[in-house]
Amino acid sequence: MKDMKQLAQPGEYTLGDLMTVAAAREVRDNEVVFAGTGMPMIAIMLAQRTHAPRLKLIFEAGTLDGRPRELPTSVGDPRCEVGASVASGLYEAFSIAQRGYVDLGFLGGAEVDEYGNVNTTAIGDYLNPLLRLTGSGGNPDINSFAKRTVYIMVHEKRRFPKNVSYITSPGWRVKNWPSGEWIHRRELYGAAFRGGPSAVISTAGVFRFDEETGRMYLDTYHPGMSPERIREMCEFDLDISRVRGETVPPTYEEIHLIHNVLDPDEIFLAKPRKE
Amino acid sequence: MTSRSKRISLSEAAEIIKDGTLLTFSGFTIWRRPCALVYELIRQKRRHLHLIEVNSGPHSEFLIGAGCVDVWESCWIGHELYGKYGANLARRVRQKEIIYEDYSHAEMAFRFQAAAAGMPFMATQTSLGTDIHNPDYDMLGRAGLRNGKNPKIPRKKYHIVDDPFFGDGRQVLVPAAKVDVAVLAVQQVGDEGTVRIAGQFFTDPEVARAADITIVIAEEIVPEEYLRHESHLNKIPSFQVDYIVECPWCAHPTGMFRFYDVDGEFLRNFYTQTRSQEGFNEFAKEWIFGLNHDGYLNKLGVPRLARLKANTVLNYSTRVERGRR
Repeated sequence: MKDMKQLAQPGEYTLGDLMTVAAAREVRDNEVVFAGTGMPMIAIMLAQRTHAPRLKLIFEAGTLDGRPRELPTSVGDPRCEVGASVASGLYEAFSIAQRGYVDLGFLGGAEVDEYGNVNTTAIGDYLNPLLRLTGSGGNPDINSFAKRTVYIMVHEKRRFPKNVSYITSPGWRVKNWPSGEWIHRRELYGAAFRGGPSAVISTAGVFRFDEETGRMYLDTYHPGMSPERIREMCEFDLDISRVRGETVPPTYEEIHLIHNVLDPDEIFLAKPRKE
Repeated sequence: MTSRSKRISLSEAAEIIKDGTLLTFSGFTIWRRPCALVYELIRQKRRHLHLIEVNSGPHSEFLIGAGCVDVWESCWIGHELYGKYGANLARRVRQKEIIYEDYSHAEMAFRFQAAAAGMPFMATQTSLGTDIHNPDYDMLGRAGLRNGKNPKIPRKKYHIVDDPFFGDGRQVLVPAAKVDVAVLAVQQVGDEGTVRIAGQFFTDPEVARAADITIVIAEEIVPEEYLRHESHLNKIPSFQVDYIVECPWCAHPTGMFRFYDVDGEFLRNFYTQTRSQEGFNEFAKEWIFGLNHDGYLNKLGVPRLARLKANTVLNYSTRVERGRR
């Protein structure tokens, strides 16, 4: 009988599992977490079943402190509302977030720059876009209101550009309109400042931000990657001087929870293929 | 207005929405969207609509693909798990056939809250420092639509002020989302118009109050006395609703809490098929034109609808396939 707390070996887990577990480790117990769908939802539910049983989940569509039995496919899903404290609406969810109740938000993006500015709106010139994407959704709102925000991203060089095509969601250095000069987020937000992007979990590694300079640095690299290779995968000059080592792989218990309990139907995460 | 006169048909409801209407909807992304009425608008070849929505979804992709929409003003469009983005909006943006105006999600919710309360604007601290507030990206302004000709279109996209009361720094004032018509898809409406929404109510109460005319499409019209027996469960009062339509499965392919789940297969096929205009035209020919709502349901078939039907205890379907297994 294998020890379920032991770390799994390469080949026994997927990249999706590794990222989900890395995301789950960003959650602390008792926190109020603003939940997105997809991998973040599995990460949050995983944290709830391991080290953070008392976390509170808020869904953008209006569910407050939900305890879903089954994985919701979107935040409007009736599955969010099972066991909830209150099922309400968007005005309620966003007001609570703006009031300062939210500790952590999980978000995604098509592009992220060195300062954690994220684009989910359009690729290319906004006025003549090469590709129109979904738009902001609640990305800038959750990021503006939460104390910490974690981004989950596919890692390609073009997705880590010097400047994003369109700043949908604010990073550590943002634009001061109407002049458009760069300004530290803390200065611009004033009394409304609570924090900002705290981590980016990509398909290559885990990145964090220096709170003073606002610059991204590599924290851990996924097994099979190297800091130098990841630096090559960014269009900006990535700081790799603070790297701690490899991203810690999932335990057997975490793999069991992801694939047999949380997402048995493989809605968001495929199971590891048997060799 | 007497109670009985509120009840109209789906095609009569569509006729109330004229060319050029500032239009909004109930629901959230792929949940509780009045798709049956949207299909009817497409059949009636409605044009020049200005959609202003807290968030968008498949229903607007139908209208945009069919060429009914001149202006899309919102924050998000897509099909959630079943399609990454709004392919029809993306195509028309690329071809410069539509005006798009981006706000953040909270800004849109606050804009409807302002309109619902008769306030000209609301103050918020969201999205400071983003390109949402880039003055060059005021698209209605660029199109010359902020000239006061349409009194419902604000003169500015937003306005930034310093908090005059507490000195708490920068605030974004977002203008009220004033709309001509709101169309809601809900579970139950009373025969006098009282609305009971089961599950998350999203921004439906605000949307109904913001509009000049509110049309409610319901899975069932029920006796007012029944709803008034437990009035604390109701979300919209009778006098805010102008017209009611009874139409089972009115939100398909989007989902309806307690009644049916999202038809993911339908949305995935729509997303894949309608990335080109030719593909959209084929979709419309097959699923919209030449059919009425009964024909549409008949084409979907009983087994498919039975699979989508919600478990009445859990409020979602336990039989619908959602993942790879």
